[in-house]
Amino acid sequence: MIRPVVLLPEAVLSRPAARVGEIDDGALALAADLVDTMRAYPHCVGLAAPQIGVGVRAFSLDVTGHPKARSCHGELVLFDPEIVLAEGPVVGREGCMSVPDLTGDVARATRVVVRGMTPEGEERVLECDAFEARAVQHEIDHLDGLLFLDRVVAADRVFRRRVYR
Amino acid sequence: MAHLAVVAVGADRPGIVAAVTGVLVESGCNLEDTSMTLLGGHFAMMLVVAAPLELTPEQLEEALGDVAADLGLVVAVRPIGEEAAAGFEGTRWGVSVYGADRPGIVHRVTSLLASRSVNIVDLSTRVIGDPERPVYAMLLEVVLPDGLDPGLLERELAGLRDELGVECHMHRVDTDIL
Repeated sequence: MIRPVVLLPEAVLSRPAARVGEIDDGALALAADLVDTMRAYPHCVGLAAPQIGVGVRAFSLDVTGHPKARSCHGELVLFDPEIVLAEGPVVGREGCMSVPDLTGDVARATRVVVRGMTPEGEERVLECDAFEARAVQHEIDHLDGLLFLDRVVAADRVFRRRVYR
Repeated sequence: MAHLAVVAVGADRPGIVAAVTGVLVESGCNLEDTSMTLLGGHFAMMLVVAAPLELTPEQLEEALGDVAADLGLVVAVRPIGEEAAAGFEGTRWGVSVYGADRPGIVHRVTSLLASRSVNIVDLSTRVIGDPERPVYAMLLEVVLPDGLDPGLLERELAGLRDELGVECHMHRVDTDIL
């Protein structure tokens, strides 16, 4: 089911999300909603559960076809994801569907290893680099109640997405 | 509500923003877009505020008078037009310019950009390095109109190397929407 994307300053975006633990029917429905909602927006490459109003540690991701992607694991949903290795920070400009008016410069690791559970209940360990690595870090930040605005490299590195309102 | 531009500049010290915004709140103003930063040891505030219609710029400037005197600030309040500028569509680029400090670098570079209808959306300059041999650093964020070849502009900027003794570089600023 396609769910509305919640926007700043909705409280769910600023709170740490709860662990899933066991995959149950609710978790499976959430995985389907994340993918459905991600697919409803043509340029959306990832969505964290808090962005559809659910304070649970899960995200969907698919960087297939993105020009800056190198590693690409296709369509993914991970529960209780954690980054077990991160290296090589580089600054890039990010925006977020939940903060539609602004962008900001954020330092992210260029290579991460992330571990999480699939909807099938299997543990997966993924090595991601380039764009996929940035996207994974952005989504996991959502699960910790952090937006890119909490990570900008300096106070003056926030910009309007469009030059004029 | 009407929009007013408020500018305040003074030697840096703690409490400037709190004092100035205190007067604005008391006057019924709402801060919208603002930029506040240190410029050569002076704290500079540039604010666009939404003000009650009955509050004139002169009244607000006068209301800021005590704070300005206490903190040694130069303060000005002026009305600004309500009509938004027409949007400049195009691609975003960063431009960096470095070189030995000399008069006219900003004017020459920005005149070149203006002649190509390149719109500056952000610009800051810093004088850095050894006081004996100061280095001028200018960082711009610009919007290139869709019809303009970035390669052409890059070559024109590179051509300023001989004329001004500066290095100019351009890089595309692309945003990852996640």
